Amino acid sequence: MSIFNKKKKEKAPKESLDIKFLGGLLLSKMAIGGAALLRSNAEEVNKLNVFPVPDGDTGDNMRMTIESGIAALENINSDDLAEVMKVLSHGMLLGARGNSGVILSQFFAGTAKGFETMDKADPTALGEAFQMGVRQAYGSVMTPTEGTILTVVRESVDYATKRITPESTIRSFFADLVKEMHASLERTQDILAVLKEAGVVDSGGAGLLYIMDGFNRVLNGEEIDTSALSESSEKKAAPVITSFSADSEMKFGYCTELLLQLTTKKCDPDAFDVETLKSFLAEIGDSIVAFKTESIVKIHVHTFTPDKVLAYCLGYGEFLTVKIENMSVQHTDLDEKPGEAAPASDKKPAERKKYGVVAVTSGPGIEALFKDLGTDEVVEGGQTQNPSTNNFLDAFEKVNAEHIFVFPNNGNILMAASQAAELYDKATIHVIPSKNIGTGYVAVSSINFEEPDPESIIAEMTEAMSRVTSGYISPAIRDADMNGVHINNGDTIGVIEKEIVLSEAERIDAAIKMAEKLMADPDKFMLTVFRGTDATDEDQAVLEARIAESCPDAEVYFIDGGQDIYPFIFVAE
Amino acid sequence: MNNYIIFTDSACDIPAATLKEWGVEHRSLTFRFDGSEKEYFDGEIPSKDFYDKMRAGGIAKTAAINVDTFAAEFEKILKDGTDVLYIGFSSGLSTTFNSGRLAAEQLREKYPERKIIAVDSLAASAGFGLIIHLVLEKKAAGATIEEAAAYVEEIRNKLCHWFTVDDLVYLKRGGRVSAAAAFFGNALGIKPVLHVDNEGHLVPVTKVRGRKTAIKALADKFDELAVDHKGGTIYISHGDCLDEVNMLVNIIKEKHGVDVELITNVGTVIGAHSGPGTIALFFIGTEK
Repeated sequence: MSIFNKKKKEKAPKESLDIKFLGGLLLSKMAIGGAALLRSNAEEVNKLNVFPVPDGDTGDNMRMTIESGIAALENINSDDLAEVMKVLSHGMLLGARGNSGVILSQFFAGTAKGFETMDKADPTALGEAFQMGVRQAYGSVMTPTEGTILTVVRESVDYATKRITPESTIRSFFADLVKEMHASLERTQDILAVLKEAGVVDSGGAGLLYIMDGFNRVLNGEEIDTSALSESSEKKAAPVITSFSADSEMKFGYCTELLLQLTTKKCDPDAFDVETLKSFLAEIGDSIVAFKTESIVKIHVHTFTPDKVLAYCLGYGEFLTVKIENMSVQHTDLDEKPGEAAPASDKKPAERKKYGVVAVTSGPGIEALFKDLGTDEVVEGGQTQNPSTNNFLDAFEKVNAEHIFVFPNNGNILMAASQAAELYDKATIHVIPSKNIGTGYVAVSSINFEEPDPESIIAEMTEAMSRVTSGYISPAIRDADMNGVHINNGDTIGVIEKEIVLSEAERIDAAIKMAEKLMADPDKFMLTVFRGTDATDEDQAVLEARIAESCPDAEVYFIDGGQDIYPFIFVAE
Repeated sequence: MNNYIIFTDSACDIPAATLKEWGVEHRSLTFRFDGSEKEYFDGEIPSKDFYDKMRAGGIAKTAAINVDTFAAEFEKILKDGTDVLYIGFSSGLSTTFNSGRLAAEQLREKYPERKIIAVDSLAASAGFGLIIHLVLEKKAAGATIEEAAAYVEEIRNKLCHWFTVDDLVYLKRGGRVSAAAAFFGNALGIKPVLHVDNEGHLVPVTKVRGRKTAIKALADKFDELAVDHKGGTIYISHGDCLDEVNMLVNIIKEKHGVDVELITNVGTVIGAHSGPGTIALFFIGTEK
């Protein structure tokens, strides 16, 4: 593919409603429109939660996934379809969060493969590329479930592809696509009974519809308010200049982050050695993170001379993104404080360990617990805040170990963790499919770090996890009738594994009944209870007393988990 | 010639009355509680009181038997024209055995016509007690002092000690278990399963979730390692937790139809290090 010999520009879409070809510039615009439309509707998508509890986040996950792709597009201005799609999809792969986000990123990655040799695509080529995207999306899921985003994307792409005629335009293709997507989304209720019971449609499918509808509206010349997009990114960068003035002296240096696209013009991307780059960075800075996926290098360094970093990198390729921030300046949206960032490099063990552990946790108590158990790197996240593939890659990079065990601790984080495991090649990554914090805790606590064979560690963890039944209580945010349980808005519901088993007006009653229900199984002899921020001392005292009374033989342990949303999480073994 | 006395120390956790019945002489290690000068002999305080005091936060400090004490005791026996076989508490856990060995060396010069043999049991608590019991059987069958000493050396590397503690804090505090912090973490409900190795040291082997799992793990070790599941002698010692010991006894009984021959408290000196809630299973295995 050549990216240099095409200077022609696509006309503004408004005047070209009958366009026959999709090019890179148009795709960029459409993607921005899609992201913007999803952003304005993300909260709606979040609410499409099967359970009437306030922990839905599919909208946010998909929004952050596509926005990560958009951010990657910021520094390219090409009309080459293959190039734009590749950058977009790679950004999405790295930023993918939640299962829907991962599936979305895989759909785009598959489509990018379909465009591989094309500087532009006609409707037929577009349809074929989308079909490749559908296949890759399906391939990314171990056991594809119908009635989800997968069904929505497959049916709509099938429909739009079949309707292609010689007269078709890009616009007619997307019109068909979006039309069928609406219909397919409605049908998810007929496929998955839980959706119907909850009175919702599939949230991932809905997120995809907003994105594709955004694509479609751009094609139709509609102005989509993208101010929210730029506003948020501006807000993030806008410093409150209170701590650095004309008289200040530079103390902390610059937090310098960049994505470098290695180019064949400047080097041999395959032969590019990250270790050499790292030793260069070590000479001029610290808190170094640098790794390569395919021909893209991600770099993070704290340095007083970011200019040297840029000059060095330009010798090997071009930047996809660059971010340089004065660390003496207090930011409104701090994702990195100078005081906190520095130890990251100190923490990196000089010697490569045999085993490392990365776990996703939320709440200070649970984080401390996992660290006590030998977790090297904690990735902040949980049901309402799914970490991205990139978050995992960063964590892997900080753990210097031969084998890294990863605990997603949430079913919706599993895929991002697995995707990161696929992208990472400097350690053997073992993703342990812990679907909630309880099973993750049990698994991590049974790791024997002295055991020479990683497979037998995994076997032991799997065995320990198989004995776990876990549940939680959560406030209900709407009336519902589910699984034979009548739920009033404001009740506290109890969920065991994935089923609602009870609903009580009083939180403490729900907690007591949950504990008793879990321990009613004669094989269970141990109950660990994580107390969340919403539970009181009195709640815990009452619960402890009641469990002691009804299950006198049980071993019961209370842990101050500090998690939000769920006042108590229960782990029965 | 079978005219010798078996001498031991209180770390074998066989009640003094039983030892007397067996015709075994012994001396006691000692302990005192933190903040008090009052020194007690091992076993001077009833186990229940001792462990209750530990549960309430009392910290017991232990002391080995010194050379002079051993020398004085051995000499009493030698003077009567009787030989001494001292079987001592694992040298991997206490200097007591070394004191006994040095005393024996001193006395050999003074009583050249007498035999004074010191042999390291490399064992502790009722596992050590079980060695004494087995050696006595040999002696009763006519073993000479040399044969008896050789027999200790033969069985000490097969005398399995498998145990669990309710809280590792005691072993850590006494420095009797090495580098366990990283191995176990601090998580609630994690129970270590330990054993005594061929050097007589305490070694954590694995960790399991929950007390009942730990107790089952001890029974599993019996299944895996015991030489004679039906007829071998089994001892158990514990830190004031008889109810849980009964669980272990029942598991073994149900599976192998065999009874545990002796159930006793972990004595106050070893108990000071292992703490309340310790359960230890002892038997002869294919390996230690």
